[in-house]
Amino acid sequence: MRVCIDGESHEGVAIDVTGVAGEELVRAIRGQDASPRVDCPTPGPVHDHVSILPPASFDRRDALAAAARALGHESATRDELENARAELAALSPPPVDMRAVRRRVAEAGSEEERLRERVAELRGRLRARREMGADATAVEAKLDEATRQLSEAETERIAAEQALERAERAAREARDRRERCLKLEDRVANREREVRRDLAAAVWDRFRSAVRAVPGNATVGATPGEFDGDRLTAALAVARLAPLDAPVVVDGVDHVSGAGAAARLLDAPVIYTR
Amino acid sequence: MLVVLLVVTYSQGARTTLRNSCRSHEATVVRRLGRAALFKETELGAFLSLRLREKHGDDVQIERTSPLNEFEAVPESVREAAAAYENRKAATTPYDKFAAGTGHPQPDAMRDSDL
Repeated sequence: MRVCIDGESHEGVAIDVTGVAGEELVRAIRGQDASPRVDCPTPGPVHDHVSILPPASFDRRDALAAAARALGHESATRDELENARAELAALSPPPVDMRAVRRRVAEAGSEEERLRERVAELRGRLRARREMGADATAVEAKLDEATRQLSEAETERIAAEQALERAERAAREARDRRERCLKLEDRVANREREVRRDLAAAVWDRFRSAVRAVPGNATVGATPGEFDGDRLTAALAVARLAPLDAPVVVDGVDHVSGAGAAARLLDAPVIYTR
Repeated sequence: MLVVLLVVTYSQGARTTLRNSCRSHEATVVRRLGRAALFKETELGAFLSLRLREKHGDDVQIERTSPLNEFEAVPESVREAAAAYENRKAATTPYDKFAAGTGHPQPDAMRDSDL
């Protein structure tokens, strides 16, 4: 790799720099920042976990799983995971917008109700006029018109209700698919956990030896997951066991005296900043 | 009749919002059932349900449900069949066998008859 800082160029697998923030170097390694400039191989998935030591956060199982993959391990559960993911991706429940249909039913219902009252009222008026012996022609005409409108409103209300029922059936089917999606999401999450656990277990022995080889106080049991120590120690061990092409930034780790020592310890290219 | 609003969620996000709504409006919640809940049939119950649907769209199902009165809605033959089957002698007899040759309705016939 080659590191250019303020016009000065450094080359090698172990480079010491001063006065440059570790985070800046990480951005440069990822190609997100042009200055300082770092020419190096593209970082792989393990690098996400150990790009800078000490790491700001460290998910040990995730990091071990990434390291295991980089070492060529695979989980027996991988195919199941892929299948569940593919099935989930293929299942997109259709959108069902029932708002308009519901509104139509409600409006048709109130219109019908309004006309029904109107017809009753006109009937009353007609009866009253006839009893009085008055001319009822105008009221009769109004009643005929209202009755005709009521019959139309009934037809509309029935059609609206039928449309709503069809939409509700479609919504029910769409919900069946949503239900299936939820189950698949759960399955994907479970398989992902299993895969990570399997992968982490596959490199556990290497992790144990690596922890013993790096500085720091940590105890590792024989059973995968049995680890008692700080995240720097765990991250150093993962960086040591994983094959790394892109450089690791070591940001002033006290127990490691410079880039050369760090590169030997981690068996990886190192930029050491202090 | 004691009507309730049944709210069922179909995504993790909708489920989380429902859980939060239930927590902050305990008095409106009649029952919480995993990713579903029964709200009281009040304006607040409706408000909570509609807010959830506004946020999560089709991932939220809202139903207005009422208790079943079997004496009003269910034919006597079905009620009697249910009672008779639950009081049967042989626990392992499946219902269609149990019903055969008696006056009790067959599952197929019941399946195709709406209440």
